[in-house]
Amino acid sequence: MSAYVFSISATAAVFVLLALSLNIITGYAGQAMMGQAAFFGIGAYTAAILTETYHVNFWLALILGMLFTGLCGAVLGLISLRLQADFLAITTIGINFVMVALFNNMSITGASLGLNVTKPSFFGRQMGNQEFFFLTLIVIVIVCLLIVKMRRSWFGMALASINNDAAAARSFGIDVSRYQILAFIIGTAIAGLAGGIYAHRMGYIASSDFAFTVSIQILSMVVIGGIGTIRGPILGALLLSVLPEALRFVSDFVSDYRSLVYGGLLVLMVRFMPGGLFGSSSPIVRGSLWVFRKITGKGGAAA
Amino acid sequence: MNELMRVEDLKMYFGGLKAIDGLDLVINEGETLGIIGPNGAGKTTLFNAICGVYKPTGGKVIFKGQEVQGQPAYVMARKGIARTFQISKPLADLTILDNVVAAAGVHEYTGMRSYFRKSHTPEVIAKAEAVLEETGLTEVRDKKASDVSLGYLRRLEIARVLVTDPELIMLDEPCAGLSNFAINEVTELILKLKERKKSIVLIEHNLPITMKVCDRIMVLSYGKKIAEGPPEVVKHDKQVIEAYLGEEDEA
Ligand SMILES: Nc1ncnc2c1ncn2[C@@H]1O[C@H](COP(=O)(O)OP(=O)(O)OP(=O)(O)O)[C@@H](O)[C@H]1O
Ligand SMILES: [Mg+2]
Repeated sequence: MSAYVFSISATAAVFVLLALSLNIITGYAGQAMMGQAAFFGIGAYTAAILTETYHVNFWLALILGMLFTGLCGAVLGLISLRLQADFLAITTIGINFVMVALFNNMSITGASLGLNVTKPSFFGRQMGNQEFFFLTLIVIVIVCLLIVKMRRSWFGMALASINNDAAAARSFGIDVSRYQILAFIIGTAIAGLAGGIYAHRMGYIASSDFAFTVSIQILSMVVIGGIGTIRGPILGALLLSVLPEALRFVSDFVSDYRSLVYGGLLVLMVRFMPGGLFGSSSPIVRGSLWVFRKITGKGGAAA
Repeated sequence: MNELMRVEDLKMYFGGLKAIDGLDLVINEGETLGIIGPNGAGKTTLFNAICGVYKPTGGKVIFKGQEVQGQPAYVMARKGIARTFQISKPLADLTILDNVVAAAGVHEYTGMRSYFRKSHTPEVIAKAEAVLEETGLTEVRDKKASDVSLGYLRRLEIARVLVTDPELIMLDEPCAGLSNFAINEVTELILKLKERKKSIVLIEHNLPITMKVCDRIMVLSYGKKIAEGPPEVVKHDKQVIEAYLGEEDEA
């Protein structure tokens, strides 16, 4: 693969991770999170500051960035308990703007100049797009396995019940608040990890990397792909990361007006295909299952 | 008969509205208690105040000798107080079986620890299947909850209660909106539970059914108890006829 392909793939992989992380909060726990990029940014800046200013080992910085982001997610989770869904959406949008303003003004985050981040070495070799791509891929695989395990556990049952109806969930023994906070912690921590990876791959981060439009991008990926599934956010993120690049050769419109395209698609999907392109009720998935059954002659269940 | 639950001077106010206004009530073990009363009398609110959906404004709920009022709904559920909802709240995207499995986890929802415990173990599935059989839901076992009729959903509500091995079963209008055929099925089911000496509280608008199923009936009006006793006695109570049965005739 050429360097260009790896560069796009590495970015796409980070967005796959972000989409998966948001899906835990929005898809599984049903919380209206509109500011995922803020936590992406918290993880990015935390890990970058740790390696740059405090010379912490890259891997340790990734972990610490993830944990600190999860801690911030816990605070948001606590706040969310007091809020109705619409207010939570507005609050998280607000948090996104506040975080961007902080990144853009605090001296520790490099203020408006942004932060230069030294690319780490791995076995004596400086890590490039290729290494970061594979690193992110490994993380994605681990996260997917953890999600699969979650969906087969009582934890997954609890989230599914809460997502459906919180009052009913309580009526069969589920401490809804506790699970909501846990979902916020897990979902934001993964976004924080994605941030740490992103910062060290790019070598430079600025507040605009974590703007509200990025939150909308991530949300679009989840919704367009298929909220509440594993394949949905992955395919949605790939589609929306790769498509604009591919179309760049045709016209600059899509990449120049990314936010417009994402926002438009988001609205259209919610209106006409709320299950997403790859959700279980999607014609694409039903069609492929039908073809699959014709070929194999037996019933196949969608993952 | 042993006392299972005692409600003392229970009050549930919404601003100025006294939805439950100083209610005393005893539920005995193995007994079926019916609660009737006109729309808006406070029947569902009574359930909600007992089950911890609302924090009562005042009064006591004593369950098996322990004061439990004001505790959150999930704690009440774990203590063995199980209730159905007037409006069914199934997990629409999940199968009927999975809906019952979700309820079977009543003691498994322990936060992060629950991540490490598988939900669909053979034992849990076997238990859920037994309850499906008992409630006549086996034929729709693998159907999505969003794809079955109201009659099934009502019985699913009861199945989800039964699978938790409850000490007290509280049913909120399990027959409302059902066809006569479906009403019969639900009534048969309640009678079966009664035979097995379950303790049941039943809110039901359908008077003949309530009279047939219940050992004792309490009549609620504007948040107050206006009569209580065996079905035959309540049926002939003047106040009851005025407040409830009379109105029922007009309707
Ligand atoms: N959460 C709430 N906030 C404010 N008022 C409420 C609330 N819940 C119930 N009420 C009021 O309390 C009163 C009792 O309502 P409740 O639902 O308990 O009646 P009900 O006896 O169950 O009636 P129905 O037969 O129609 O189900 C009504 O006046 C209702 O409007
Ligand atoms: Mg009611």
